[in-house]
Amino acid sequence: MIRVRIPQKNKELEVPGPRRVGDLLAAAGIRPTTVIVTQGKRLLTRDQRVEDGETIDILSVVSGG
Amino acid sequence: MKCKRCRKADAAVDLPSHNSAFCPGCFFLFFRRQVVEGIRTLSLLSPEDRVLVCVSGGKDSLVLWDVLMELGYRTEGLHIDLGIEGYSDRSREKVLAYAGARGKEPIVVDLRAEGIPIPEAAKRARKEECSVCGTVKRYFFNRIAARRGFTVVATGHNLDDESARLLGNLLHWDQDHLSRQHPLLPEMAEGLVRKVKPLWRVSELETAAYGFLSGIDYVTEECPMSLDATSLVYKEALSLIEEKMPGTRRHFYQGFLHQNRDVPGNSGAPGRRECGNHDEKNTGGEASPPRKCISCDAPTYTETCSYCRLKERVTKARERL
Repeated sequence: MIRVRIPQKNKELEVPGPRRVGDLLAAAGIRPTTVIVTQGKRLLTRDQRVEDGETIDILSVVSGG
Repeated sequence: MKCKRCRKADAAVDLPSHNSAFCPGCFFLFFRRQVVEGIRTLSLLSPEDRVLVCVSGGKDSLVLWDVLMELGYRTEGLHIDLGIEGYSDRSREKVLAYAGARGKEPIVVDLRAEGIPIPEAAKRARKEECSVCGTVKRYFFNRIAARRGFTVVATGHNLDDESARLLGNLLHWDQDHLSRQHPLLPEMAEGLVRKVKPLWRVSELETAAYGFLSGIDYVTEECPMSLDATSLVYKEALSLIEEKMPGTRRHFYQGFLHQNRDVPGNSGAPGRRECGNHDEKNTGGEASPPRKCISCDAPTYTETCSYCRLKERVTKARERL
């Protein structure tokens, strides 16, 4: 399973892998232009594949002020 | 996906709006060039400027400060502690840590110490938090800049902020706000310094990517006061369009600037509020200069400036308890 963390929402999901980042975002109902996806110190592009057992973080970039 | 610039390294940031993708090194070049171009085309800054950078602790303002320092501008940071329990403490910590690591000491205005923390002020004045926050921030931006000899105030508003604001202004046909919406508001009088938005060409995603790749530790949580902000609705609408038609947001805002080339305050449109402080209404005619607030000496078009009026309202409400 892929561990998907959304820290700003205190949310965590487990999704069967492998999957591309774009597919993971679509499955979570998140628009790609509104987030960055990170893995440790790396930024992931939409076409990158995430394997079973890996963890990614989805960070919203939208601010409201 | 390979970087479309160097064609060697793996891409870390894909930008459909630019039909491009960059590795970290090439992305930094791209990002800085966007900021440089934004500053150059609208003559936002000159090397002689002393720039007061308003830093909230969020990604946009810290990235702005970072890039301006990289580009060699003379900058100092101004942080306004809004007095929002928990959130403001964490924001302030991020700003102090960022500045400290670069040998800087930001100017800090603590609204609790000033007697006007935003949550309490909004409650006592019976106004929206974001409206009160805007009034208070603009007041201190001008006051600190004028008193400490800064020639310009820079804020971290980005392409998403400005295009969302444009959409809101257009949907309401708000001619007054539309006439003032620009990345450059010139100095209109003593005490109303020039305001610039050097990140107007870069998106929120690009700013966040720059911050992350630079290792800038910014506040990722949203201001609890802005969760119902209407700007979020406009941003969501634009992001939906952007996803289907990449680049639309950029064309929307840049097209607006292209059609309205006059910098606010330079065209002399009748009835325009020709000053950098959005709260002060010029009711004395186009040519009338602002006078001094009887309470604090800040420039104003009324007897008392909007900040002092707000503070008085809050104080009176507090005394009635």
